Amino acid sequence: MDDRLARLLAGYPAAGPVPDELMTPAGGIRPVWAPFIAAIAAMSPAERAARHARGDQYLADAGVFYRQYGTPDASERAWPLSHMPLLIDEEEWAGFTAGLKQRADLLEAVCADLYGENRLVADGHLPAALVAGNPEWLRPLVGVTPRGGRFLHFVAFDIGRGPTGEWWVLGDRTQAPSGAGFALENRIATTRVYGDRFGEANVHRLAGFFRAFRDSLIGLREGQGNRVGIYTPGPMNETYYEHAYIARYLGFQLLEGDDLIVRDGELLVRTIAGPKPVNVLWRRVDASWADPLELAEGSTLGTPGMLGAVRAGRITMVNALGSGVLETRALLAFLPRISEVLTGAPLAVPNIATWWCGQKAERDYVKANADAMTIGDAFETRMLFDAADVAVPGDAARPSEALGIGDWLDASGASLVGQETVTLSTTPAFDGGRLVPRPMSLRVFLARTPDGWEVMPGGFARIGRSASPQLSMQQGGSAADVWIVSKGPVRGETMLAPSQTQFVREQPSQLPSRAADSFYWLGRYVERAEHTLRLARAYHVRLAETGAAADPLLALIHEEMERFGSEPGEGLPRGAAQALAAAANATAAIRDRFAVDGWNALNDLSRTVRQLEKVTLVGDDMARALGVLLRKLSGFSGLVHENMYRFLGWRFLSIGRSLERALALTGLLALTADPDAPEGALDLAVEVADAVMTHRRRYSVATSRATVLDLLMLDPLNPRAVVYQLDAIAEHIGHLPGADALRPATPPQRAILKMRTEVALHTPDSLDTEGLRAIEAEIAALSGHLAAAYLT
Amino acid sequence: MTRYDIRLRIVYKYDTAASAGRHVARLLPAELPGEQRVVASTLDVSPRPAEWTTRVDFFGNTVSEVAFAGPHERIGFEVRAVVDVSEAGPQLDVSPRLETLAHEIAGARRLDARSPHHFTGPSQRAPIDPAVTAFAREAAPESASAFAAVVAVGAAVHAEMRFDTAATTVDTTMIDAFENRHGVCQDFSHVMIAALRGIGVPAGYVSGFLRTDPPPGQPRLEGADAMHAWVMAWCGSELGWVEYDPTNGVFAGSDHIVIARGRDYADVSPVRGTMRTSGDHTSVQQVDVVPMSGGG
Repeated sequence: MDDRLARLLAGYPAAGPVPDELMTPAGGIRPVWAPFIAAIAAMSPAERAARHARGDQYLADAGVFYRQYGTPDASERAWPLSHMPLLIDEEEWAGFTAGLKQRADLLEAVCADLYGENRLVADGHLPAALVAGNPEWLRPLVGVTPRGGRFLHFVAFDIGRGPTGEWWVLGDRTQAPSGAGFALENRIATTRVYGDRFGEANVHRLAGFFRAFRDSLIGLREGQGNRVGIYTPGPMNETYYEHAYIARYLGFQLLEGDDLIVRDGELLVRTIAGPKPVNVLWRRVDASWADPLELAEGSTLGTPGMLGAVRAGRITMVNALGSGVLETRALLAFLPRISEVLTGAPLAVPNIATWWCGQKAERDYVKANADAMTIGDAFETRMLFDAADVAVPGDAARPSEALGIGDWLDASGASLVGQETVTLSTTPAFDGGRLVPRPMSLRVFLARTPDGWEVMPGGFARIGRSASPQLSMQQGGSAADVWIVSKGPVRGETMLAPSQTQFVREQPSQLPSRAADSFYWLGRYVERAEHTLRLARAYHVRLAETGAAADPLLALIHEEMERFGSEPGEGLPRGAAQALAAAANATAAIRDRFAVDGWNALNDLSRTVRQLEKVTLVGDDMARALGVLLRKLSGFSGLVHENMYRFLGWRFLSIGRSLERALALTGLLALTADPDAPEGALDLAVEVADAVMTHRRRYSVATSRATVLDLLMLDPLNPRAVVYQLDAIAEHIGHLPGADALRPATPPQRAILKMRTEVALHTPDSLDTEGLRAIEAEIAALSGHLAAAYLT
Repeated sequence: MTRYDIRLRIVYKYDTAASAGRHVARLLPAELPGEQRVVASTLDVSPRPAEWTTRVDFFGNTVSEVAFAGPHERIGFEVRAVVDVSEAGPQLDVSPRLETLAHEIAGARRLDARSPHHFTGPSQRAPIDPAVTAFAREAAPESASAFAAVVAVGAAVHAEMRFDTAATTVDTTMIDAFENRHGVCQDFSHVMIAALRGIGVPAGYVSGFLRTDPPPGQPRLEGADAMHAWVMAWCGSELGWVEYDPTNGVFAGSDHIVIARGRDYADVSPVRGTMRTSGDHTSVQQVDVVPMSGGG
């Protein structure tokens, strides 16, 4: 071992009480790691730090987050990447993943039995109480065979390496396993860190797995033109980022329960062009929430009638509703025997030793060995980041200290299991500049393809924060990429079809009404924030000049700002901050459809707002700070305008922006062009409309009521004029579904045409305050027409 | 055998029109060989639903699912049925003692609708609660037979709880009703179910109708003006299920007409639905259960 390697591994114990992924018990480096570790050792500490920063920067830029529960705001947390991947030799990998395929087939058979004949219960291989008492055994689906006959299409296994070096299954994930998208992001980030080494390291690529699964999902459709969707609980879910990411990566629609309706047993997406069928759902919503009519009452995440569509065989769920029953911890106690019974073969990869305490002999065993056991809920179906995800010594679920373990087991045995407390192998992680061993568990993903189960060559490793076997990320662990290392060079893979084949320009997907609504309001909120900020800046500029808040012009700005929920004196206008927060919310709901750059620009804005909220500035200083915000807003708008593909979402965003601007301008003019308005009001209007230069060029005279109304209401070439915005709205509405030159105009088309004509027929003289207020009301009413036609 | 003419009308009125809605209804009397025979039954729904399907749920109950597409301000369900109900024979207590009932339950290797396993653990509306369990334990010692325990617990619920149609709503929790010792048939039933499950007796919820006017010389039963509910309890593999009406402190007999059975109200709610409406709604329910001449 050379010096540099020795420094890197200083203090890394050669042989601990548990196996280590990097080191052999004799203290040598395992062959699969040797070249990579040598390469890392050869880097200077500064180079390593720079590389780690590159990976972190990627994750920050991509906006990777997971949601942390248990904090007051269920806040989004940056993704905790371990900068050290886990390396596994491809031969070892192939060996135990073959066992995982066998396990996936076994679980499929068990699921079919639990929802079918129930032979396992009748023959005494599974206690009836374990099924009947299981909240994930969904009675409305008993007797229902899924379309296509398969319950499971995408499963994951949490595995760990036990004391003897063998791999063990710690838990089965069959309901809606998360983590595959995060595994992809870990891979991309880790590639940023070790990009040059990655190529040399002969690491199997992940894209082939995703391509195969995507094609399988498409193959599950029945009928051409039908769509595949990813069914998500929405932005408040802890792994929503992943849902949006996967949707974008695979090119599928991201759908919430509210996007879907059932009609005559068929599942449809509510789109701006009316209901459209969806045929396959990759489900990330727990089954109990899927249908408030037959499952959890009052669920707002589901769709009434969903189960009817499943029963009618009109939809394939990946995985079938009810498959969560297989995740039950207590099932691990019976699977070894069931494997023998159903397949005639023992489990190739054993699972963690488990005893169900509903049987006396097993209960007595757990009592006698309680020190070496973890005792917990028999029906627990754990989620990726749950604190209880990996067994820890003790009996965390015991209701009170006073209750002895024996009494507890006697009283509640049927709902408890004991599991052997396992110690997991360790793998290297960076701690400052050196490597330290940390406990590790691994999530492996399997997808059903027409050729059988395919295993993702890689996965998602969870690394403990300290030497204790607590692995949960909610408690501060980290996640690592998993490299399956080949002996020789591996084939490069991408999601894209080979470029020699003829390309097809795909039809833009049908825009769900809910997403259209989010785009529309994003446009409105951003514009509203801009208007409020401009008003506030005008206020502070004038305050700096006159120094007197009693100035009638300042009072007028005050009045106008109050319409938007703000008061000018308070520092950063509250209304603007609220509008930007609402814009961020709207963006969160369309994350899968929104470019990363736009998302980052909006986040940057929110950060600036938060900073400004902490300080109190007035007058000139405040005006300057508002100027910075306005420039960032322009940056966001520019990005949207320049970069966004002209799909229908962009049109709704643009309509929202134009409508809000027309509304704000008309209101502002009603106030400032009123004969009773104070001195300087017309200049104020031109300034807030950002048209000072234009006015100077177009009229070469001081502002008058006529020039200002002409420029800001009636000039079709001025992007800051109301009529220009109405033209823009009319143009966009003409491209929305239902608008067709050969057919009668849609209600929004008629409304905008009428309004446009009325405004165009005006002259500055004919526009009085009352007329302006009437136009303002009509613009506001247009929002209702749009909502009725497209957004509900 | 008694033959009944049954009429039921349920109307929901919305303050603001619902734009769409989907509802499942469990309103039709059940066909139960040996216990109850449906001579004729019809369900009318207004306005005319855009979709209407009928199926049988896990527990064997008939379910009608209806969907409304257009805006509607009210929906009405109307049932007319003629049903023959058999006299229950005298119950002979051949049930095991509570101590050994668990053993018999474990021996039941089946998961069909009548398997006791569905009815042992907590359910949505009938959780197992220490105070309720203690209440049951006081009424029925461990040495009691399962059947005796059912009678004792049912009688205790009947004696302790006050029938009060104004005290609770359809959403009142079992615990709340138990602590205040009042409620209607739904509350009485949930308390009895939770109590029985607490001491290891599988127990479920039965929804149905009650004869409106008593036979001559007998007192009028509580709950006859609306749909009724009572309790089913499993007393070992030999005796099987018995049905007890804790609201009236009697076994369910020829005055009781079964609609649906489940773990608790949530499994058998007469109408469960979702609708798009911004406002509130009110509902009315009318029930008439009249013995027909020529029957009985």
